[in-house]
Amino acid sequence: MEKIELSIAVLVLIGIIVSSSTMYYTTTVMSNMSTLSGDMSTLTENVLNLTSTVRDLATITGTLAEAMGEFTGTLADLEARLAAIEASLAAKAKETLIVGTTDSVELTLDPAQAYDYFGWCILQQISGTLLSVKPNSTTGSDFLPDLAESWNSTSDLTIWDFNLRQNVKFPDGTIFNATHVKKSFDRAIALIQMIPEGAPAGLEYDKFINRTEVVSTYKVRFYLNYPFSPFLGILACRSSAIVDPTYAPNAQVNYTAGDARASTPVAFVGPYYLSHWERVGGRDIEIRLDKNPYYWNATSGYPKTKTIIFRFYSDASTLRLAVEAGDVDMAFRHITPTDVLDLEDNPSFKVWWGTGTFVQYLCFQEKRAPFNDTRVRVAVAAALNRSSVCQTVFLGLAKPLYSIIPLGMLGHTEAFKKLGDANYTFTRSLLATLGYNETHKLTFDLWYESSGHYPMSAEQALLYKGALEASGVMQITLKSAEWASYKLNRDNEIMDAFVYGWYPDYVDPDDYAFLYWATWLHLNYNNATQTALYDEARATTNLTRRTELYAQIDNIAVEQCSVVPLYASGAWAVTKPTVDGIYLDITQDMRYWLIYFK
Amino acid sequence: MGLRSYIITRILLTIPTLLLLLSMVFLVMRVLPGDPVALHFEKKAEPWQLEDMRRKLGLDKPLWAQYADYILGLIDINYFLAYGYPNLGKSMQTYEEVGGQIFSAFPATLELAIYSMIIASVMGILLGVVASKSYNSILDHLIRGFGTVTYAVPVFFLGIIFQLVFGVFLRWLPTGLRISASVAPPTGLTIILSMPSGGFISNFLLSSIAGLTISAICIAILKVKHVKFRFKGFAISLAVFIIAWVVYAYVSWYFVLKGKLQIATGLYTIDSLLEANPVKFVESVKALLLPSLTLGIILSGIFVRLTRTNMLETLRLDFVTAAKARGLKESTVTYGYALRNAFLPILTMLGLQFAMLLSGAILTETTFSWPGLGRYIVQRISFRDYTAIQGAVVMFGLFVTLVSLIVDILYAYFDPRIRL
Repeated sequence: MEKIELSIAVLVLIGIIVSSSTMYYTTTVMSNMSTLSGDMSTLTENVLNLTSTVRDLATITGTLAEAMGEFTGTLADLEARLAAIEASLAAKAKETLIVGTTDSVELTLDPAQAYDYFGWCILQQISGTLLSVKPNSTTGSDFLPDLAESWNSTSDLTIWDFNLRQNVKFPDGTIFNATHVKKSFDRAIALIQMIPEGAPAGLEYDKFINRTEVVSTYKVRFYLNYPFSPFLGILACRSSAIVDPTYAPNAQVNYTAGDARASTPVAFVGPYYLSHWERVGGRDIEIRLDKNPYYWNATSGYPKTKTIIFRFYSDASTLRLAVEAGDVDMAFRHITPTDVLDLEDNPSFKVWWGTGTFVQYLCFQEKRAPFNDTRVRVAVAAALNRSSVCQTVFLGLAKPLYSIIPLGMLGHTEAFKKLGDANYTFTRSLLATLGYNETHKLTFDLWYESSGHYPMSAEQALLYKGALEASGVMQITLKSAEWASYKLNRDNEIMDAFVYGWYPDYVDPDDYAFLYWATWLHLNYNNATQTALYDEARATTNLTRRTELYAQIDNIAVEQCSVVPLYASGAWAVTKPTVDGIYLDITQDMRYWLIYFK
Repeated sequence: MGLRSYIITRILLTIPTLLLLLSMVFLVMRVLPGDPVALHFEKKAEPWQLEDMRRKLGLDKPLWAQYADYILGLIDINYFLAYGYPNLGKSMQTYEEVGGQIFSAFPATLELAIYSMIIASVMGILLGVVASKSYNSILDHLIRGFGTVTYAVPVFFLGIIFQLVFGVFLRWLPTGLRISASVAPPTGLTIILSMPSGGFISNFLLSSIAGLTISAICIAILKVKHVKFRFKGFAISLAVFIIAWVVYAYVSWYFVLKGKLQIATGLYTIDSLLEANPVKFVESVKALLLPSLTLGIILSGIFVRLTRTNMLETLRLDFVTAAKARGLKESTVTYGYALRNAFLPILTMLGLQFAMLLSGAILTETTFSWPGLGRYIVQRISFRDYTAIQGAVVMFGLFVTLVSLIVDILYAYFDPRIRL
């Protein structure tokens, strides 16, 4: 019997909870209902008003026909109003741009930490920097005033002055001024010790910035440790975003569930603000950006689209399906080359092509044979066939690269053309002097990354192997590892030759040229002449001189072949045909505030 | 062995099972090549930075100490009370609490699992019964064929076909994600407690009225069922009722002070109903339909075959013939008598299939960009996020263990021979 009594008790308990929640629930529904009925009565009232107006009109004019005429007039008027409402609804729908992507913010939207493409992309929309790169820039070094209206430097490039824009307001009424700039940079540098993997650490803010000084309310001064020509480029990138002191403690700011404002320290001075950010399991589920009413350039009509909603898909194929199903207005990063060319033929979509600043290059491990011999590296470099990879794997969407600095950027050369493509006669004769021939082939492992960290890696590797073996004097074993192991192999220096890639942090040859001897590639290559030339190029603003210096670096690189550039490719975006205003320039940035519906 | 001791033994047995699973995952993750610390740095990393990071993540300690830390963390009651989930450590990649990440991702997987299981079992059992009734007919062969094909077809293949047909060509349903961009995710039931009048007293009264109503209904049912209502039983239920009443009134009054009470399950279909928002409900069902149908159909195959075989055996038994001879309705005989007897092995399979369901969920979640635990595991593996994967696998293990525990208990309840 006890069991029954216990179950009664449990039933009663459940009963209490269920019934009370039902009552609350009913109350909620009832309150909704009462709102609805309120609306209904307003509507009825309006209809009554309308009728009485019509009736009055009829009385005034005196004749039924006239009254009828008026009535038709009112009807037409109503129709016109209805049309206007419909138009405004349609316009409202066009105020929201839904973007599909396979990206996700890696960890945080704190400029003192964020160092991933998508984190920087969102930061660019919601934050402000002193200056920015002009949309459609071909060199990446034509800067537009942003939060700074003008700037100048001493001739030795070590002291920089910035005159700030005035009357830029934060939501709480604070006026943006020089202390905000100082605070932003001081904080970025102070946090380098705590966040060694963050962007300011990676870009070495602490090395080149000596100190920041508030000269007057609207004037800020930077003292640099040494002349540093890419300085403006770095100021335009996201790790230089201005933070709001109220939300920027001297610690990393992380995602806070349900509180978008507390999830980022950036100041409310960009075109958009972060209105909703939801993450599940450390990955984005939804990001919503809304128009920032305090944006200094709002009077000029920016941002052009009121709301941007990001939707996160698991891979390229699901993203493509979402585009085709019309679930998103725009897809940006990553749709495969095959898919994008397929969609280009479809009139329901528009494809936007960007300039190529993503580069991939071949690295040689010089610690041991065979690549400790420069001649072997040169021979292999000459046998590569870049154009076949660009055509076959990337369907023409990538361009062969003959200098580590991509086309369009200051200092780009065609240096590696000297060695040629698939230049087998040269390769064979050079290798012959080293004792390699058809019977005694040069053998080595060629490694590629296999988990999709770089585009189409396996396909590329097959073609590189094919082209090299076509020389008749090489025997290549393809090996692969997914990103985690690949990076470990790189550090452990166990890969003979491997393919690596690079996205720029800032658009300047300074961010590319060092790849020839980058220590973190662990190639055991070092060339004092090259580093000296590089340091000299850093310290001068004379563009002709810089171009010369980078050309000299390239010339040594061709002789040494420590790292061999392979190809450069740009980004692409797919949109509905009604979307316009996309600039995919050399910066690889997507400026959402310029995008609008036609 | 009585039912009670059977259940207790069964529960105690889950502890070593989970511990074994945990240890295996712990070891396997660390045997894999790749260094979670090196993955933090895109380019420059000084040796001291790597060492620093290692210390931060606790990777500088010997393996046994890491293991001990992990196990001790799991049973840390204070942590559990502070956060509301067990201490599964910090993610090696994002430093966030793994427990929090997993608990935020789990509802999506649970929702998918529940609906797929409903679809799979209802569809599978019904088709199985139909097949057994029309034994050796064309219909039977067709259903058997369906069972075999669905069992063999890969989840992602069926998923992509569904996406193409219903998403791209017909444009009826979204191709992925949990809810359309046109509505915000449901927040569940938010009670703004300025309602009726809001004070402790009125809440107290409200809950007592609610409780009394239901208890009256309960008593009425008991009377109808002729259950004897002795004094002791009455006293117990009364005491429980009063305690519950006071606690309930106090809790709701407390939340009145906080301004609002949020009840959210993380299951979008349920939360949208709690929010009384039919638009969100429709949108979440629309998004849920394709993934759960995909997974449900794939899983239904085994139920079809199992139900059919068991039903065929049961239908041949004497008691079915006897029931038919007594002139009982065909449907009563089939569903009321035969299916009930054929149900036990199906129940076992239901429990076993949950494990299968979760592995299927990993593929389905990737195909439909469903932000659940499956997708979480896939993403974390590429970062060698030891703690995150350990946590997620333990969560999966716990889930499967719980389901099989429930199934075993039900089984023992239905079939006393098991307990012997």
